[in-house]
Amino acid sequence: MNLEWLDAFLISGLFSVVVIIGLALLLHLQLGLTRIANFGVVGFFGIGMYSFGVMFTKVDWPFGDLPAFLISLAFGTLVAGLSGLLVGWLIADLDEDGVLVGTLGFATVVFILATTEQDLTGGALGLGGLKFPYDVGTVKADEFLWLIIVSIVVSLIFLYVWWVHRTPYGRLLIATGGNEPLARSLGKATFRTKLWLFAVGSAGMGLIGALFGVMERFLAPENLGIDVTLAAMVALVIGGTARAWGAVIGGFLIFGFFDIIVQSYIPFPKEWYGQAIPNAKLIVEGLVLMGVLLFRPLGILGAMQRDKLMRRVHG
Amino acid sequence: MDLDFFSKSIVIGLTEHAPLILAAIGFALLYRLTGLINVAYSETITLGAYFGMWFNTTYDLNFYTVLLPAGIVAGLISVGTYFAVFRPAKKLNVGALEMIIISFGLSIVLRHALQFVFGYPVRFFEVPPPVSIRVLGVGVGAFRILAVASVAAVSLALYYFIQRTSFGLQIRALASDEDLAQASGIRPLFVTVLIWFIAGVAGGMAGAFYGVSSSVAPLLGWRQFLFIFLVVVVGGRKGLGGVIITGALTGIALAAMTLQFGQVLYAQLALIIAFVVLLKWRSKRSIETVKV
Repeated sequence: MNLEWLDAFLISGLFSVVVIIGLALLLHLQLGLTRIANFGVVGFFGIGMYSFGVMFTKVDWPFGDLPAFLISLAFGTLVAGLSGLLVGWLIADLDEDGVLVGTLGFATVVFILATTEQDLTGGALGLGGLKFPYDVGTVKADEFLWLIIVSIVVSLIFLYVWWVHRTPYGRLLIATGGNEPLARSLGKATFRTKLWLFAVGSAGMGLIGALFGVMERFLAPENLGIDVTLAAMVALVIGGTARAWGAVIGGFLIFGFFDIIVQSYIPFPKEWYGQAIPNAKLIVEGLVLMGVLLFRPLGILGAMQRDKLMRRVHG
Repeated sequence: MDLDFFSKSIVIGLTEHAPLILAAIGFALLYRLTGLINVAYSETITLGAYFGMWFNTTYDLNFYTVLLPAGIVAGLISVGTYFAVFRPAKKLNVGALEMIIISFGLSIVLRHALQFVFGYPVRFFEVPPPVSIRVLGVGVGAFRILAVASVAAVSLALYYFIQRTSFGLQIRALASDEDLAQASGIRPLFVTVLIWFIAGVAGGMAGAFYGVSSSVAPLLGWRQFLFIFLVVVVGGRKGLGGVIITGALTGIALAAMTLQFGQVLYAQLALIIAFVVLLKWRSKRSIETVKV
């Protein structure tokens, strides 16, 4: 495959945008519809990434790379999903402070385990040995193909979110987020709904983490910083927490600008790219988060258009 | 397990984690009296460490001299964030959930903006090695003894201030019913500013203590935030006394488990799990009570 026309920075920039959109879409179900502020996005992302990495690199697989890769990927997703179930059970009936403690605590636990369990994770030194489950010639071609595969996965997540908006389950999530005691008094199992939401959302975040780890090829605790949670939250909030397209538009707007345009197309002095630009990027993310929530809480897309949507779905 | 282990845990726990109690008192003040979960409080702590280090290294002042100024600057910044962000947010009727996310955004902004001001590398206080004093057979640095004394002084001062002075009465009135307090002639703005300032001073001093005993880095406050928050959420129901006792017990438990496991991260891990399970158990109990 001749990919001379394609800049390597563009591939990595687009990849990070796609990953952030994926996480923001899943966060949309939790924060946007059910109004649960999951500050532990990076924990689920990280546990999926490390479970996949450890399974793939530490187990002596008796068969080829591809089946081992797929089994490890499923394992990472499953572990993240089960963690989501556990965290969901712990926080489902707590108020905002309990949710913050539980989710932030989980992310810290994952970071601690990634650092302390050196035999499995390599600790602070990191875990190498990850690779693509194919070889199509050059590194650039491999990465480009991986970008396409991950884009397809994130598109499927988008379709799931889009479908949820149109189902009774989606309406139940919105009702739970709007007024949980009312939903419960109408006989809706809100606790179970939240558990399922957390299990599925976390499994998705874990899958994205594993896919991200493959592109990184090297897992280190630095990948588990709060900036991952922040990125998903910013993308969602700027686009619109209540709308399925919010995460997509927000992700492209802010991270497309920083990770693609600033990185590849604006000729800033070279030394700025080391620390000044990443630092400025985080300041802008924080400012956007504050500015949008203060002055346009529902983001660019605004409020949900349930009436219109329901008319279209049900006639 | 012998007596030596217990005395070591208690001495190390109380002296090493005294800044945790100090920071938790400040956070609890904001949390209980304004109802706000201010994630950016972690940056008040970090800024206290940075300003303490800056006064210390730029003007060649010793640690004892820079401690209070560092706290005061952090207090002023805390008040600044109230006027710049939280007061406008309240006027715009921002919801509780959004308020947490806004404070999270502010935390990120402050954490990274301070790197443009103070530089990216990890910084250090320039202090002579502290004199070591033996307490129950355990050697403790003078700064840590000062940290314990500061916690005691700040706690007593706050208790006296809130329970015994007219300003304290105003603070309590404002916390329980803002409209009624205002109708009774209390100036809510002045009292609120006072709360933000005191909380900031406590956080800033805690930051200076953290900084002098290790290093000054952008993540200094954030690394402590979860534990401060846990102490306040679990102990805060019983007022400031509950926060101080929970903070002290947390410090002792962290020290004991660190001695036992040989690694502070395992101690933190066990503590996080224990606290979250405790919160879950408490919520289950309160639900049962509501049912009855």
